[in-house]
Amino acid sequence: MSAGPRRLSRARSEAIAGMLMVAPVLVWLAATILYPLGTSVAISLRDIRIIGSDGGFVGLGNYADVLEMARLWAALGRSLVWVTGNAVLQTLLALGTALLLNQRFRGVRLVRVWVILSWIVPTIVVVIIWRWLLGTSGGVVNYLLVSLGLTDRPVGFFAGQGSAMASLVVINSWRWFPFVAVMLLAGLQRIPADLYEAAAIDGAGPWQRFRRITWPLLQPTMLVLGVVGTLLSFNVFDIIWLTTAGGPSGATQTLPVLIYETAFKSYRLGQAAAMSVLVSLLLMALAVLLTRALAPKGQG
Amino acid sequence: MATRWSIVSGVAAAALVWGAAAAQAEPVRLVLWHMEQPPHRVARVQELIDAFNKSHPDIAVKQEPQSWGEIYAKAPAAIAAGNAPDLLFAIPDFTPILKDLGALQSVDGFVKRLDAEHHFVPSALAPYSYDGGVWAVPLYNMAMSLWYRKSVFAEAGLTPPKTWSEWKAAAEKLTADGRYGIGLPANKQLYTDQTVYDLMVNAGAADIYNPDGTLRFDNPQTVKAYDFYKDLYQFSAADAPGWTWGEAEACFASGGCGMILQFTVISTYDSQAEGDAQDLGVAPIPHADDRKESGTIAYSNAVMILAKDEAKRKAAETFIAWLLEPETYGRFLNMEPGLFLPVTADGAKAKSLWSDPLVVKYKPQIEAMIANSRNGALFGFTGGHTFPSIAAISAQNILAETLQKVVVDEMSAADAVKAGQARMQEAVK
Repeated sequence: MSAGPRRLSRARSEAIAGMLMVAPVLVWLAATILYPLGTSVAISLRDIRIIGSDGGFVGLGNYADVLEMARLWAALGRSLVWVTGNAVLQTLLALGTALLLNQRFRGVRLVRVWVILSWIVPTIVVVIIWRWLLGTSGGVVNYLLVSLGLTDRPVGFFAGQGSAMASLVVINSWRWFPFVAVMLLAGLQRIPADLYEAAAIDGAGPWQRFRRITWPLLQPTMLVLGVVGTLLSFNVFDIIWLTTAGGPSGATQTLPVLIYETAFKSYRLGQAAAMSVLVSLLLMALAVLLTRALAPKGQG
Repeated sequence: MATRWSIVSGVAAAALVWGAAAAQAEPVRLVLWHMEQPPHRVARVQELIDAFNKSHPDIAVKQEPQSWGEIYAKAPAAIAAGNAPDLLFAIPDFTPILKDLGALQSVDGFVKRLDAEHHFVPSALAPYSYDGGVWAVPLYNMAMSLWYRKSVFAEAGLTPPKTWSEWKAAAEKLTADGRYGIGLPANKQLYTDQTVYDLMVNAGAADIYNPDGTLRFDNPQTVKAYDFYKDLYQFSAADAPGWTWGEAEACFASGGCGMILQFTVISTYDSQAEGDAQDLGVAPIPHADDRKESGTIAYSNAVMILAKDEAKRKAAETFIAWLLEPETYGRFLNMEPGLFLPVTADGAKAKSLWSDPLVVKYKPQIEAMIANSRNGALFGFTGGHTFPSIAAISAQNILAETLQKVVVDEMSAADAVKAGQARMQEAVK
């Protein structure tokens, strides 16, 4: 009779102790996420132009205005192209690299470190390297293209509507795929070797082993990477801004770039805050959808 | 007991005296933001600051170079966050933004005192004088010119173009393997605003506003300017939609561009190219065939005092006054020889200006630039009017954005200019 309440009391005190331990983190998160988010909502309800100035209460007026903007929908479309392009390219590059690094060969440890280097390089250095590589005056890529007779004059990689976005996707994927590759490699190394041995004994070839063992068992890792990667890609601002600043002619103006321009170039802080709130809601919905869609069957 | 009290009182009094002395010795600290980022300019500004700080031990100035690309966003944010600098360089269309935020106090009285001593060029002061105040102190003038190599022109059988027909023909003829006939930007950035406006001025479209403050950007002369820009642009580099001043200068210095529009190329040409003063050509920007004379974009740069604290404002005035003294002013202007033209009468004659070795070497070019600057204009500040709403148009680079519609999206110049006027109307609302 006495053991029950004692156990209950112990469980309760453990729960309280646990809550006390996570409380500082929760308070910190509330201060760094909820407070700015709340401030954004408050700003979005006012007609504030330049940061630091006052503006009258307009209710949902800013939301109505931005939802009518053709620029917002165009930027949303470009953001989707950006996220999809990055997801596809990074997955292909990372999966290929992870499979390669999962093999046993001489110097594999060195190669694993080498591959991660592009992820360590600061963004500004990445941008300078690629602008130099793809430049028309002295750019190595253009030099090779012209020297090999593949084109008669240098190509303006950041000058065309389509080529600018494609170039940015390549640059961003180049920067991020090593991180994804390392995560996938960790996932690959958790797959028991005896599964492959048993499959090989049963006569399964490399493709069948990949399809029936590797791919299904990588799904939990892919799920996490898919959700986190999509959200991170969507919010990328630095590489785009530093390389093309959303140009040429708005060709690479994704939603984060549009929000920045609306706040700090057009001086419409209230509208920019409304856009931010809408994007936050969109990303939350996207995270829920992705989690449900990508969750391995049978895991609820 | 009495002895102990004596010791305590003595120590306390000494601490007070020391504290007061320390407080007195503590200099007034000023933070200066400017957008002259190239390392040699930063170094020259530092030399001047070091000299000033040495001769004024009660003031300590510190520079923090910024970028023109970000300052329109960064300065209001810094003011809102309470981290604004005490002194901030400006161009005419930048001051209305900070004035509207209440960050500026008129420097009318200070400018009058400086004017009595140094005599400002009236056109340098005018863009900063509106709404009953003077909002910044002019520091230097800038004007764009056409830069070329005489030997390259001679080899192609060309003389400096005067009209647009001649200009286009020259660009076409100079286009060769490994060389663009002309380097023209198409970035959505201030440099492109400036080169577009160069063509607008030379097409007779210098006025973006009517005298009553309504917009008149959408007019046949503006369309003509954009049409011609597109004509010339075909002879420019393929990555010009990403260019700022530096890329154009680099293209010219390397010989990759036959000619460019630029405020100056003297420093880069001298240090990174041939450095042959006899071969460096500078000419007025060609005008439309139906016009008689050339014009250019020209405007004065200035410094705003953002400090609110009276001691800091006084220290800022001391620093600016020191900078405009003829013996220091020339050294300040020569942070980029030939680029920064004097805005004061005594500064124009200053020995410190004309004795710089680069200025001596490139004197004919600098005299030509000064001559070109005499027929200058600036969007939003023409016809004796000042239209502060130009700040919103300039901050969003709508002149450059309109150009991108023409050269990147291949929209007709007439449609792009019409759309540009609509964007301007939305921006100034």
